[in-house]
Amino acid sequence: MSTHNKRIIAASLATATCSLLGTSVVAPVQAQEDPGWDFNTALLYYGESDGRVQDVSLNVLARRAFVDDRFLTLGLAVDTLTGATPSGALAYDGPQTFTRPSGLATYTTPANQTPLDDSFLDTRVALTAGWQQPFARLYSFNVGLSASKEYDYLHLGANLGLSRDFNKRNTTLSLGVAFSQDDLEPVGGAPLPLSAMLDVGDLSNRSGDQSKDVTDLVLGLTQVINRDLLVQLNYSFSKSTGYLNDPYKFLSVVDGSTGDPISRTPAPGDSGPLHEYRFESRPDERSKHSVYGQAKYNMSGKVLDLSYRYMSDDWDIDSHTLEARYRWPFGDRRYLEPHVRYYTQSAAEFYRIGLVDGATPPRFASSDYRLGDFDAMTVGLKYGWKTRSDNDMSIRLEYYTQDGSAPSDQIIGNQAGRVLYPDLDAIIAQFSYRF
Amino acid sequence: MQSLRSSAIDSEVRQSVRPGATKRDPRLGLAAGHFRGSFNAMGSPCELLLETADEVLAQELLQIVATEAWRVEDKFSRYRSDNVVARINQSNGRPLTVDDETANLLEFAATLYQLSDGRFDITSGVLRKAWLFDGSDRVPDADSIAQIMGTVGWHRVSWRRPEIQLLPGMQIDFGGIGKEYAVDRAAGLVSRRTNCPCLVNFGGDLVAVGGLRHPDGWQVGVETPGSNASSAQKLILLKHGALATSGDSRRFLLKDGIRYGHILDPMSGWPVECAPRSVTVAADSCTQAGMFATLAMLCGKGAEEFLEDQGVRFWCLR
Amino acid sequence: MSNSITLRYRVMALCLSTVLGGCTSLGVEPWERDELAREDMQLVTDPVEAGLDDHIYFSKEASSGGRGFGGGGCGCN
Repeated sequence: MSTHNKRIIAASLATATCSLLGTSVVAPVQAQEDPGWDFNTALLYYGESDGRVQDVSLNVLARRAFVDDRFLTLGLAVDTLTGATPSGALAYDGPQTFTRPSGLATYTTPANQTPLDDSFLDTRVALTAGWQQPFARLYSFNVGLSASKEYDYLHLGANLGLSRDFNKRNTTLSLGVAFSQDDLEPVGGAPLPLSAMLDVGDLSNRSGDQSKDVTDLVLGLTQVINRDLLVQLNYSFSKSTGYLNDPYKFLSVVDGSTGDPISRTPAPGDSGPLHEYRFESRPDERSKHSVYGQAKYNMSGKVLDLSYRYMSDDWDIDSHTLEARYRWPFGDRRYLEPHVRYYTQSAAEFYRIGLVDGATPPRFASSDYRLGDFDAMTVGLKYGWKTRSDNDMSIRLEYYTQDGSAPSDQIIGNQAGRVLYPDLDAIIAQFSYRF
Repeated sequence: MQSLRSSAIDSEVRQSVRPGATKRDPRLGLAAGHFRGSFNAMGSPCELLLETADEVLAQELLQIVATEAWRVEDKFSRYRSDNVVARINQSNGRPLTVDDETANLLEFAATLYQLSDGRFDITSGVLRKAWLFDGSDRVPDADSIAQIMGTVGWHRVSWRRPEIQLLPGMQIDFGGIGKEYAVDRAAGLVSRRTNCPCLVNFGGDLVAVGGLRHPDGWQVGVETPGSNASSAQKLILLKHGALATSGDSRRFLLKDGIRYGHILDPMSGWPVECAPRSVTVAADSCTQAGMFATLAMLCGKGAEEFLEDQGVRFWCLR
Repeated sequence: MSNSITLRYRVMALCLSTVLGGCTSLGVEPWERDELAREDMQLVTDPVEAGLDDHIYFSKEASSGGRGFGGGGCGCN
């Protein structure tokens, strides 16, 4: 007891306590200080090959635990995007000149290259806030707000969720709704759907700002099957209305027999596109239904995470997503986690690689590769470890590739030998730190 | 200290009053995700948190826990005139044979007296006659302390299990052990009846048993003495084991700028100098946690060093 | 019309009660949750990473959401 001589009484005290209580302690104490705030941070690099999109993203998700399992969550994400993205125009044997989205200049794509819009440069800041708390004995609710701002885009959203536990909390039913309202202020104004790309300085086909509303509904069932198996089943419905176009995407107008772009001459003294292009036109409504299933299976410490999603919408797109993760711990403090993801989608009903000159223009048309028919694959590996101060760190490296094809009945004449679908290869690298 | 998970709004509070003991008033309610039973014992609010959906079981366990708390209180409280402590304290120098449970507690106290080199002493309670820690400046004079010190000291007690003999005027007091002992006893009774995760909390001394649904365990808040409850709480996550706290910022004397804390050194009869305002310790059992906390307080300036040497987790407030 | 809606609701209610009823035989006791309580057994182990992935795939594919809300709030799609 003396402060000068160390006296370790822990063992004697334990013995004395055992004889007092007449029992021995089964499990040793496990107590730790609640950090109060829990920070999840990540730095992500996403880079596409061939000078396409590069994104550096910094994310912070802070969670504060309060009395009675109530939680406040605050999120911040900052993205810096640079690079180029396919404009929707077809590759061609000769160079192609386009008017920039601003309508103030032109740029030229060399022969035999997929036209890319290189004016893609943006910073996005996104904020989220959420609150979650239990009520009554078996219920829990959460509310959240989100906002994000880009140069030409403003998003505001709100969400509300409710869940109830059943069967000794082995079953949870949940219901969530989310609303968002997005405003678009495209550079140079939003082009009228299917209007032609005009000469520099001519903004007569541009309209003012646009907006879209999205309503989401998610119904979920989570079920504990046994000590090692947990499954989740969700149904979700999402309805978007308003301006659903990508204001920067357009289609080539091609000759009905050769498949080559139709030439065009700018007005005297003006510069402008040397071929004909028309801006895309999508319906102003879209309804999506998805079914999502996930299983987490613990195999004596190793965890298999399997998920599948089926999505179908009224644009005629069907997609299947299969994902698997396998967390393989070694030692007490480290793990490796391989990840595979397979995705396949069918094309939207109005997906066109180009518009045929002279034919009756369709009401809706888009050559956005993301609405086409393609398969995608992700393979990745994550390595995670605990630091000396018991914080979690991880790095992951993934490779993402898209392989698409143009619908064969749309390929005309000379197009057969050209690249009609811009395939995509990307690297994802991420460093995460949780403290 | 209070258990935070318990303070949810009770949506459906049902009462079950033990006949003839309305003051102790056991209640069972539904809190956030668990049953919460509460009652009063040993001068403190007590509670039992149970992670189960079975209300009948919750009701039964609450009765078991409350009954055990009251039993320990009735048997070992120094405020009663009809229990074993009263018989020992009124024995006036005569030897007395005690029952097994009392003998176990005396044996424990004797061991702790040795382990603490005399600093933990269940005969020091008589010093309270001179020291009234009511926030005033009434510091007793040295003569009255010296006089009382003649009846303090476990070494003056003759203890040969099961027989105890005190000098006339001496008294014993299980106040420093009783509550923690009761917590461990009650938790033991619960785990004998069910495997449900539970938390037994008697006025801030508590023990958690069993794996909780929550990955982090029970959230327990430690109040910082002397400040607002809301602003000065530290959350401790307890998966298994016990937490006990010693210290109370409201019990002190203040004279000539010197703060006399309520922890008395039985060897001098004076308050321990530079004792922490409060010490919370995590240990396997509540009894151990409570002993570590009390002994740390008795170390005064050396409280943190003592606890570090014992290799326990602790939270010291100065 | 209204009859078929009522019927559909009934069928749904029946399905739901079957699902919930069937689940009672599944599951674990509270004290058997040690493995399930592990961090790597949570449905979403890393919320930030999940959010980043959702964002990437939202901007490169025509599908989104499923696990939770549809993501979005981004001019990238």
